[in-house]
Amino acid sequence: MSTLLEVSGVSVTFDGFRAINNLSFRIGPAEMRAIIGPNGAGKTTFMDIVTGKTKPDQGRIIWGEKSISLRGMSEARIAREGVGRKFQKPTVFEDQTVHENLLMALRNKRGPFAVLFYKPTAKDLARVEALAEEIGLHDALWRKSGELSHGQKQWLEIGMLLAQEPRLLLVDEPAAGMTPAEREHTTNILVEAAKTRAVVVVEHDMEFVRRLNCKVTVLHEGAVLAEGSLDHVTTNQNVIDVYLGR
Amino acid sequence: MKRLILAGLALLMTCTLALSQEAPMQDILQDHSALITKSSRMTIAPAIAAISDSGLTQAQDVLQAWQSKDIWQRKSDGLFFRAKETAEGSYILFDFDSGETLGEADKADLKQIKPNSGVRALIGSALVTFQLQDSDPARRLAALTSIERNPSSELLAPLRASIDTETDADLKAKKRRAERLLTIAYDSDESARVAAISDMSGDLGVDLRATLNPLLETRTEVFAGEAPEGLNLARRLAPGEDISTEAAYDLLVTAGLAPARIDQAEIRATLGTHISEQEVGGVALEDLNQPEARARAYAALVAQGLAEPDPTSAEIKAHLDAHQFVEIYNEPSRPVTLAASEALEDILLNVGMNQSLDLILDGLSLASIYFLAAIGLAITFGVMGVINMAHGEFIMMGAYTGYVIQQLIPNHTASILVAIPMAFVVTFAAGVAMERLVIRWLYNRPLETLLATFGISIALQQLAKNIFGTQALPLTSPEWLDGAWVLNDVVSISYIRIAIFILAISFLAIFLFIMRRTRLGLETRAVTQNPRMAASMGINPNRVNMLTFGLGSGIAGVAGVAIGLFAKVTSELGNDYIVQSFMTVVVGGVGNIWGTLAGAAMIGFLQKGIEWFNPSNTLAAQTFMIIFIIIFIQFRPRGIIALKGRAAGD
Amino acid sequence: MKNSFLMRNPSTLIFLAALAIFTIMVTVLSEAFGLGLISTSFVKTLGKTLCLGLVAIAMDLVWGYAGILSLGHFAFFGLGGYMIGMWLMYERTRDIVISSMSDAPIPPTAEEITDAIGHQIFGVVGSSEFPLIWAFADSLVLQLVLVVLVPGVLAFVFGWLAFRSRVAGVYLSILTQAMTLALSLYLFQNDSGLRGNNGLSGLQNLPGLDAVAQDVVSIWFLWASALALGLGYLLAAWVVSGKFGSVIRGIRDDEARVRFLGYSVESYKLALFTVTACIAGIAGALYYPQAGIINPAEIAPIASIYLAVWVAIGGRGRLYGAVIGAGFVSLVSSWFTGGQAPDISLGFYTIKWVDWWLIVLGLSFVLVTLFAPKGIAGLFDLAGSRKWPNRHGADLGPDAGALREREANE
Repeated sequence: MSTLLEVSGVSVTFDGFRAINNLSFRIGPAEMRAIIGPNGAGKTTFMDIVTGKTKPDQGRIIWGEKSISLRGMSEARIAREGVGRKFQKPTVFEDQTVHENLLMALRNKRGPFAVLFYKPTAKDLARVEALAEEIGLHDALWRKSGELSHGQKQWLEIGMLLAQEPRLLLVDEPAAGMTPAEREHTTNILVEAAKTRAVVVVEHDMEFVRRLNCKVTVLHEGAVLAEGSLDHVTTNQNVIDVYLGR
Repeated sequence: MKRLILAGLALLMTCTLALSQEAPMQDILQDHSALITKSSRMTIAPAIAAISDSGLTQAQDVLQAWQSKDIWQRKSDGLFFRAKETAEGSYILFDFDSGETLGEADKADLKQIKPNSGVRALIGSALVTFQLQDSDPARRLAALTSIERNPSSELLAPLRASIDTETDADLKAKKRRAERLLTIAYDSDESARVAAISDMSGDLGVDLRATLNPLLETRTEVFAGEAPEGLNLARRLAPGEDISTEAAYDLLVTAGLAPARIDQAEIRATLGTHISEQEVGGVALEDLNQPEARARAYAALVAQGLAEPDPTSAEIKAHLDAHQFVEIYNEPSRPVTLAASEALEDILLNVGMNQSLDLILDGLSLASIYFLAAIGLAITFGVMGVINMAHGEFIMMGAYTGYVIQQLIPNHTASILVAIPMAFVVTFAAGVAMERLVIRWLYNRPLETLLATFGISIALQQLAKNIFGTQALPLTSPEWLDGAWVLNDVVSISYIRIAIFILAISFLAIFLFIMRRTRLGLETRAVTQNPRMAASMGINPNRVNMLTFGLGSGIAGVAGVAIGLFAKVTSELGNDYIVQSFMTVVVGGVGNIWGTLAGAAMIGFLQKGIEWFNPSNTLAAQTFMIIFIIIFIQFRPRGIIALKGRAAGD
Repeated sequence: MKNSFLMRNPSTLIFLAALAIFTIMVTVLSEAFGLGLISTSFVKTLGKTLCLGLVAIAMDLVWGYAGILSLGHFAFFGLGGYMIGMWLMYERTRDIVISSMSDAPIPPTAEEITDAIGHQIFGVVGSSEFPLIWAFADSLVLQLVLVVLVPGVLAFVFGWLAFRSRVAGVYLSILTQAMTLALSLYLFQNDSGLRGNNGLSGLQNLPGLDAVAQDVVSIWFLWASALALGLGYLLAAWVVSGKFGSVIRGIRDDEARVRFLGYSVESYKLALFTVTACIAGIAGALYYPQAGIINPAEIAPIASIYLAVWVAIGGRGRLYGAVIGAGFVSLVSSWFTGGQAPDISLGFYTIKWVDWWLIVLGLSFVLVTLFAPKGIAGLFDLAGSRKWPNRHGADLGPDAGALREREANE
């Protein structure tokens, strides 16, 4: 199986505290992966490193068929390479309509001049409609996103991620604060997405992870503790000691 | 009637007494009577010498009286007296030898001896001899000071003569020093001068440099062909290299060795005087706005003999080649100039080192001022994250509090001691009020805080103008802070700056104590790091924020008193410091008091350093400093001492 | 296409119509072309106010829309004024010099004229040499280019340095304030080449147009200012209505999110900062010929702070709000500080508005920030009962908005 993202030997230190310690991780181009781990295991820092928000002290981050290094690239550049990220808290542009939010996320030229003279094509508009349909916000298309419910904002953010057409989706606790029905919907969207691209989900909720039915990576103290199916890792003694057993 | 008789009797008695006694000084004066009454600078020397060499104790009195035009000659017998005018306009006469009063005389009977200024100067020099050996040390010191101020060659001998008999060690050293300097400048013996120069080499005194510099003064001279031998040449000047060809040629012109060049203004004036029929030299007037037309017209005038020709560059070069330009020392003695230039070089090196020391002291004191101005901000901005643009106005408020206290308590020491706590109280209250009324509604909205506090800043500044007027008001420091600690002629630092330095250090200590050792400090750190958690542990964040903000503002007020002591108190006082204060905190690194210290040190030293390169222009220094800071932020966006990682937040 | 844009943005149409009516009214009422009910000096004040409206639009774009609280835009405004002032002063002095030299028996050479101009202009700072920066002062076209270029290049260099190192929020505000301070301190020097604190003066006289009376010139400038304001408004409205506006508002509300969408936030900020600096420069170039004089005090940081005050009082994030704020506050300010406002006698104390206006302004600014963050333009919402999302007090800046944080914790 070919590799889309390979992280090897990455370490990062904050004021003497090793948040990530010699971490290695790889994921294929159309694969779903769940990352679990106790608080402070380095899950969010791992995402920060991949998306360029945090600069690692050492290690390699190799991306795509051409094996380019993501290390040292700006966040925007990495995003344009095809890495999309969803935050733990729903972050959408509350002052703008759902339509504007989606249009902004749509995969198009990102330079200031191109954007200044940008006029949405019929294809773009159709894509926005389709996405809105997919995330169940078609009726709310012209509402300000600040007026949406918490779950709707989560979906809008996922919709924006899909609009970016990333090759790798990094999703941080997508199901937090959702009703069971909403979770179901979210799971479907993510599973659907993973058919054509890589999806990495950071999640606490075991039930949700189980429903994703994918390979699981357990992080602990900034390093990979175990990897495999959910059943495999939950029987791992180390994992039980540090995480599940508590 | 009785009184009159008594007075007459007394007069008679004293007169007889005077005549009957021995009167050596009067005899000397009588010997030189003609010289003294018709004195001139050229002829008077023997008379002065006779008096000063007489060995008489009264010689000094005579010379002083003479110099101050207090000697009068009695017309009837030609005797000289010191006379003093009475209220009635008559004169009391004093005898020189006995020092006794000889009664009064009418002005008509007397003739004043009026030495001219040249003569008075000679008398002065003679007097110095006496003054330098006077029994009163204060007089001796005064004489020495006058020598130092107006050195001249004739003072050298009396000064030397007075050294051996000097009893006061301090004065002796001073006399020695003055003697060395006079030797360098005036001694007739070349080797003595050179020896004196090498004695003094490396000394930092301004007086030494003032003595040496004139020895190395030069003048530029021109000689046809080679310069004559025997001149004390400083250097030869090659036109075009050491001296511009224009300047060299101008020297030739001034010396009358070459014809003057004709500049454009002269050409224009000459052309103007030869206009005929709308033409000059065959060139139409309207064409004369072209330089080459003017040159043609002028050439025509020269050809007609109506104007002087402008020397061509070839002619100028020929003239320059035919002459030699040299710089000659005004001091003729070669060994002396050599020794002087070597000594001066040593001194300048030494001065340079001491200037660096002085610069460091200056930088240190400026850094303490910035630190003082910024420490309040380090609390409100650095610890709490609140942008208070009215911080400068709190500084101003503290300074005005100091001023008001000083109006109420005239004693400067007492008033400052009262002003510091009062300034703290006033600005603490103002800070708490501002926090309660405005800032607490705007936590987590820094840009809006910035704007609201701008509004307060504008209002407070105008309020201060309305109350105290626009003029600068004085905040006077106590007398014991006047003056300066002088290390040598180059390095000195005023006591007030030392006091500010000490104040800055104690503020640092107080800050560290409050933040690390008190309940308030603990609670402040807790609230800034995690307000919700702090609240759930029983800390009242409102109270803590209020007190912390009050503390920061109060410290700004105390800083205001300190700043007011050396800067005038105006409503714009705070304005002058606000940008620098923010720069100090930002450059140092937000949220860290050591960062603020480092920032203040960097900005203080930097500004002094830039000023040193271009001392005439403090505006430029500030401009360059700000540009430097903007560039510095590029490389260390989080300041000198930066918090890393998650603790820093984003 | 233009039509549809205007149709989609009715506020723009209303604003342009109001501006046109205002301009026509003033023209009709002026001394030069009509009834003479408005004095020439007041026409100039109105013209200047239009220019302030234009720079307020620039400020609103950069602050209200993109969340960059720049305290340097009035410095760009002043630089534009200096650039046009150099040409006006040079040409005007040249006219004077030529006419005074025309009596001389020998006609002056070009060099003599230049020297005489230099002497006239720089005599006041003890110099007569033309500094290098005056190299293009004799060319109107080049100086007009510089009106845009100088503020633009300064903004570009500064912005590139600042944005590149991710200086944002209050740090950027303080840094821009420092830049403004540095610039004004530099211009205060006599050897800055721009006549130190004397500044450039006599700018109200248009070279070669001595025959045209000032009342006519003032109307010309009013027209020019109104045209510039109209075009500037149209440009700004077009920029913010499209996807670009969407992106910059996104940057204002959540910079990191925009970055993770793949937009290079720094380029957007830099582009906007630079373009608005150019607009500010144009506004300044129209303002100072009407004011007649420019000196470094105009550039002092406090001026840029007032600009922020205007925009805040008028209403951030709304273009017409910025214009209304600039117009309203600056006119009211000049009314109060000009001594026209009647003093209020309290018996024991007489309130002189000249002294007290700034206090009122400062405090009203605090009140607006606290209680009416939408400013005057917020009143239009009430009147038109337009629905804006309640932000629950969330800041219009790139800070952690209270709303989002609270919801996430629920």
